Formats: sequence, structure tokens, C-alpha cells
Amino acid sequence: MMITIPAFVFIFSTAIQTKPVNKATLGELLFSDPILSKDNTISCASCHKPAYAFADTSAVSGGVAGKKGARNTPTAMNLSLSRSFFWDGRSKTLEEQALGPIENLVEMNLPVDEAIYRLKNNKKYTEYFKEIFNSEPTKENLGAAIAAFERTLETSNSPFDNWKFSDDSTAVSNAVKRGFIVFNGKGKCIKCHFGADLTAQEFRNIGLFNGKNLNDSGRSVVSGKAEDIGKFKTSSLRNIAITAPYMHNGLFKTLEQVIDFYNDTKKIVPNAINKDTLLNKPLGLTRQEKKDLETFLISLTDKRFNKLKK
Amino acid sequence: MKILILAFVLLFAFIPTDNLTGRWESKPSEKGNVTGVVFKTDHTLEGYVNKKPFVSGTYNFNPEDSIISFVDNGCNGVRAVYKVLFFSNSDSLRFQAVSDSCEERKNGMQRLVMGKVK
Repeated sequence: MMITIPAFVFIFSTAIQTKPVNKATLGELLFSDPILSKDNTISCASCHKPAYAFADTSAVSGGVAGKKGARNTPTAMNLSLSRSFFWDGRSKTLEEQALGPIENLVEMNLPVDEAIYRLKNNKKYTEYFKEIFNSEPTKENLGAAIAAFERTLETSNSPFDNWKFSDDSTAVSNAVKRGFIVFNGKGKCIKCHFGADLTAQEFRNIGLFNGKNLNDSGRSVVSGKAEDIGKFKTSSLRNIAITAPYMHNGLFKTLEQVIDFYNDTKKIVPNAINKDTLLNKPLGLTRQEKKDLETFLISLTDKRFNKLKK
Repeated sequence: MKILILAFVLLFAFIPTDNLTGRWESKPSEKGNVTGVVFKTDHTLEGYVNKKPFVSGTYNFNPEDSIISFVDNGCNGVRAVYKVLFFSNSDSLRFQAVSDSCEERKNGMQRLVMGKVK
């Protein structure tokens, strides 16, 4: 009996995972299925790793045939309130975004029409799409399913949330509270990271474009505007402690490095072009303030990831 | 007797002194988002969307003219003044701008209708 019960639980839970009952659970299945990549080796979850808040641990992710992308894989969590997607904001909806990596030559490299052809010829998926969408697989319902899954990936149970939303002043340490003061004041973080997901969802050039070794033009390619050179979408800070490395190119491996960079950007990139004027002067943070700020950032980690926290 | 006096002191310390103190929430929007604010007895406020905190600040409220004045961590520290319009036996409220030079906040505040969370 001791063996039978766990076996039953395993079989039962597997059955739940493999038989989707709605758009979101179908999307979850597709998210982890390499059927959507050219050589059937890469799924969305290969780069958006669930254990790391659906981000990647590499500076840039590997795609099919060992190809490397140019940008860091952003978290796929906490996107419900987002107004644009990708580092350069080229997609306006999550449904549109969901299809992008499938077609991207250095990611999954599979034309969406071919992905649909594969799904239509897959007995399991034709059955699931029929049950859930009352339709065969299409580009629209493929995007809708993956987007529906991504919308379930919201987190609001971090120590910070417990402190602020649940009014539990014991949920965080004094260092977190001091760090929040730095975040709102001397650190100027709030100017760009204001909002429920700690992003104002704007595009900013933080000084990581110099036209030489740092030459990703970012938002300007989408907008066509010269003033957008080197601008990228401000990231959410939720679960930031487990989504290293950081920035659009994965340049920094630790939060400490990120804070040191913002404290005096010129020290790290002296010849930046079109940098935001907010960062013209060094912040002048003390060692203690930097440490407190880092502790505050760690407090934004949802409790489901407790085992991974520093 | 001492216990009785202590009980009265504690009772009055935690009873809201005005209609505003407490937790207020909007109905879910078309996209299902719920906005809320907690006005605390220590004159601090916490705003949130879908249980995610997004704004912290301090406020003063005058129950006689129903005017709230507050500063939060957005809008570069600009002070805002609003009239709080209570309705439905003070179970619901909305805000009317008296002065707020932060346009983004003003647009959000004037659309906000919230009910008391009991």
C-alpha cells in the first residue's frame, strides 16, 4: 500500500498534466513541447525555465542547431499588465508575442504555418484543440492558448507583497525597509520601476549602447526614431533575484553588479551614447545602501521560489 | 477596572476615526484587474493592483470637507489634493481632483470607483 499510493498520485497527476481542460492548460502543454521547433529539440520552456521564474540562466539562450540569440531571455511571468512585449516592445499583445520565438531563426526556427501543419497532423493536439476551441489548430488559437497559459504566471506572494498588501510589518527585515527607502529616494529606481510589477513599462537607454562592442539599437529598430537608439523596455523586478543574468544582453551576473553599474554607469561603460539623463550623475550610494537595496530586491521573490533564493 | 480601561483605550485606538480609513477596492475591470487602496490609521496609504502593491504614500484627510491631501512614491513627490465623494451610505467612493499636476495619476484617480472591503 505504501508503494501503491504514491504510484497512483503520480499517474493521476500525469493524467492531469497531459489532458488539458482549458486554453491555459493546453497552452502549458504547448509551452513545454518541442514540436514547435524545427528539429523538435527546443520548446518555449527550454529558455523560459520554470524554476527560474520562466527566465534563462544564460546571458543569451541557445536555439535550434546550437544557434545563439542576441538578447537575454526575459521572464515570462507577470505579463498580464504589460502593454508591449519583447525587449524592444515589437509585439502589442501576448498572443502575438507567443508566436514570435517559434518563427525566430535563432530560436525555434519553425514557420508558424508549418507548426500548425504539425499540430493538425498530431492526433492528440487535434483532439485537444477541437475540445477546447471547437476548431482545428490555427495560428490564432495557438497564440491564444500559449498566451492564456502565460497569463496564469502571476506572482503576488513575496515578502514585499506580504508587507505592503497584507500589512504584515514582520514579513520583511529592517534592511528591506531601508532598501525600499533607497529604492524610492537616493537610488532613483522608482523613476523607471514604478508599478504593480515594478516597471513603468517605458523604453529607456540606461547606458549600455556605445555603437561599438555594445551595439544593439533596441527600440529604434521598431519605432524608426533615432532618439530611441539603445532603449529597451524596463524589466519587471518581480522575482529578480532568480532571473540572473541581467539587462537586455545578460551583461551582469549578479544584482550587486547591477547596483554598482547604476551607482556610476560611466565607470562600467564610459562612452555610452544617448544615455538617459537620469543616470548622468553617479548616485553616490554607500556600501550599506547598496546592500540594503539588494536585500529589498531579493524580497520581491515569490515564496514559490524560496529554495532558489540566495 | 484597569482591564476595562485598557480595553476601552484599545478599542478607541483601533476604531477608524473617519469614513475613509480601511481597505477599498474597485470591481474587476474588463481585463479582470482589481485596484485597491488601504488608508491606514497612521496616515500611510498602500495602493495595489491584483494584490500587487504599486504605490506607497502618506495622507491627511479632513472629514469635515472630505478633502484628502497625499504624497506617494510616484509622480516625483508631487502633492495631490482630491475631494472624496462618498456614496451608497459611505460604502463606495470616488475622487474629484482639487489640484494634482501629475496628469497620469489624475487620469487614473478620476476613473477610480471603489467599494469598502468589509
